[in-house]
Amino acid sequence: MARIELSGIQKKWGAIWGVRDVNIDIADEELIVFLGPSGCGKTTTMRMIAGLEDPSEGEIRMDGEVMNDVDARDRDVAMVFQGYALYPNMTIYENIRFPLRMRDVPKVDQDRLVREAAAMVELGDLLDRKPGALSGGQRQRAALARAVVRKPQVFLMDEPLSNLDAKLRQAMRIQIKHLQRQLKITTVYVTHDQIEAMTLADRIVIMEGGLIQQIGTPDEIYSDPANTFVAGFIGAPPMNLIEGRMEDGIFTAPSIRVEGLIRNLSGPVTLGIRPEDCHVAGAEAHVEGTVFGVEPTGDMTYLTINAGDALIEVKADRDYRSDLDVPETVAFDPARIAFFDTTSGQRIR
Amino acid sequence: MSDPALTETGAATAPAPTGIRRRRSKRMKTLFPYLLVAPAVIYLLGITLYPGIYAVVQSFYAVKFGPWRPVGFENYANLMGDYQFWGALWNTFVIGSISLTIQCVLALTLAFYAYRDPWVQGWRIIFLIPMLFMPSAVAFIYKLAFLDARVFSDILIRLGLIDGNLSIQSSIWGSRALLILADVWQWTPFLFIIFVAALQGQDEEVEEAARLDGAKWGQIFWNISLPLMRPVIAVALILRGIDITTMFANVFIITKGGPAFGTETISYFIYRTGFKFFNFGYASAASVIMLILTIIIAQLVVKRAFRSGRA
Ligand SMILES: Nc1ncnc2c1ncn2[C@@H]1O[C@H](COP(=O)(O)OP(=O)(O)O)[C@@H](O)[C@H]1O
Ligand SMILES: [Mg+2]
Repeated sequence: MARIELSGIQKKWGAIWGVRDVNIDIADEELIVFLGPSGCGKTTTMRMIAGLEDPSEGEIRMDGEVMNDVDARDRDVAMVFQGYALYPNMTIYENIRFPLRMRDVPKVDQDRLVREAAAMVELGDLLDRKPGALSGGQRQRAALARAVVRKPQVFLMDEPLSNLDAKLRQAMRIQIKHLQRQLKITTVYVTHDQIEAMTLADRIVIMEGGLIQQIGTPDEIYSDPANTFVAGFIGAPPMNLIEGRMEDGIFTAPSIRVEGLIRNLSGPVTLGIRPEDCHVAGAEAHVEGTVFGVEPTGDMTYLTINAGDALIEVKADRDYRSDLDVPETVAFDPARIAFFDTTSGQRIR
Repeated sequence: MSDPALTETGAATAPAPTGIRRRRSKRMKTLFPYLLVAPAVIYLLGITLYPGIYAVVQSFYAVKFGPWRPVGFENYANLMGDYQFWGALWNTFVIGSISLTIQCVLALTLAFYAYRDPWVQGWRIIFLIPMLFMPSAVAFIYKLAFLDARVFSDILIRLGLIDGNLSIQSSIWGSRALLILADVWQWTPFLFIIFVAALQGQDEEVEEAARLDGAKWGQIFWNISLPLMRPVIAVALILRGIDITTMFANVFIITKGGPAFGTETISYFIYRTGFKFFNFGYASAASVIMLILTIIIAQLVVKRAFRSGRA
């Protein structure tokens, strides 16, 4: 049970930046998710918390104690690797027992703890097998059991579900969240999958290019993005970002006109609106375009409108159908509109 | 290749029309790959299988200069009662196992300390240098340094560690030690390179996982790296083991099997029987026994190492 603070963390290999500047304060018992595209420095940050990588600059503290010079072995951190990193020469039982053996847990307790951990991830009947004889999901659970067995201060999980198929991934997601709540262990979870991040996280840390773009609860990240990167990264399909101009409270872009907006804004701005906050409209339309695509999914219909320079995604009613290239009008929910600085991409509040 | 169409439709005319293809008879198609490797196979069989069979046949005859005289199992029976043969077997075993153990442990230890070192990764080829020396040259160097020119004795005398020359060649264990030393010097690097490569090939994440699980470097090595290396170690041991079992050049050059046959290995025994006493049938019988022993031991090692090395 630990609080983790990262302040001014940088990691550089020669001229290559892994992480440029990371400041996070992770609360005790929190499940925090690092989310970002591949190569943004998630793994590097996690490895620095684990002690497998030394930061070039900055300080890592756990419960107020500086950990920079503490060996990985002594940080009491357990990690689930993307490739699981099970010990191929040992049975699953021996794998799960290994951390106990290395930390001199009394022999009498070892067996009980191993079986408890295995039961927690429903692995009881596979203990005699070697990792090579397990499926991806079973290996993943074995890795999880090995991590939980010694009740560490901190859990680190690096894309633990990325090798699993969609169905299994969802099942494991629920299991991980349940386990974390049950054990109350501070957890850092790395993923590039936004669904995983949204469903698991207490708070999400969005990273890009070695920098933190936003830290917030899934709700905050979704409805209150800090910049165009976050807005465009979260959501499927992501937020519509329309470049245009503001004058006298009127936003204009080719084929788009939104009136009655904030008065004190003028010049070039980017308007952001989520697809579910756009509606196929009658009279009070903001967009007059043509139908570019119609994709029914069963529970709704993805409608793409061609409006001048922009393609606007709309989550339309499940019954919505239309021919292509016919005129269509769309209205935005004015309360849900967000504005971003066109050059910097930062949110204008 | 009597059919001209066949020879012309090589790989060069890639989109071969099916008409021409069909003309290559089915039989030819199945035979063709075998024909390609036939010369190499015939050559290999010629230099291994033929002499092998020849030796097996010969081992049932008394072969001195005249005509071969069949003697059945007499050669084998005599060998069983030949204390020099048993002595040679024993010497081979003693020298071989000590030498193999030392070089294996040495190479593993060095590999363990070096394999994550970037310098070793870049320059490991230089560790091969001792292997590149001609074995007989190495043998002569050792003979000079320790026996004939007494370089080693001289150094010890000058350091004040001993009073007179060491008489290594008059001591059985001294001579054995010398053979072992020469072999270890020349072949430890070979094992070192193999072990380093095996260790470097292992998944680094697994090591990191072990570190986070609280294992020290030594524990990681014993519990994970070493068990995973079993197949590699087995192969290395077999290669080296066969080499050592047939050790000849060093014995021939450095000790000539002496003193008192104390360093006479099986190879040297066979050589002496065959080419000094011209008792070819007898020598062949000894070779056959040696061959069978080698195969049995190699089989055992391979089976053990690979069966339990599997994940
Ligand atoms: N050992 C290394 N040496 C050099 N560059 C590295 C190393 N590890 C990672 N990087 C670089 O650092 C950046 C961040 O990597 P990483 O943290 O693995 O990203 P991800 O968010 O996909 O986990 C990448 O550009 C990667 O190429
Ligand atoms: Mg990564």
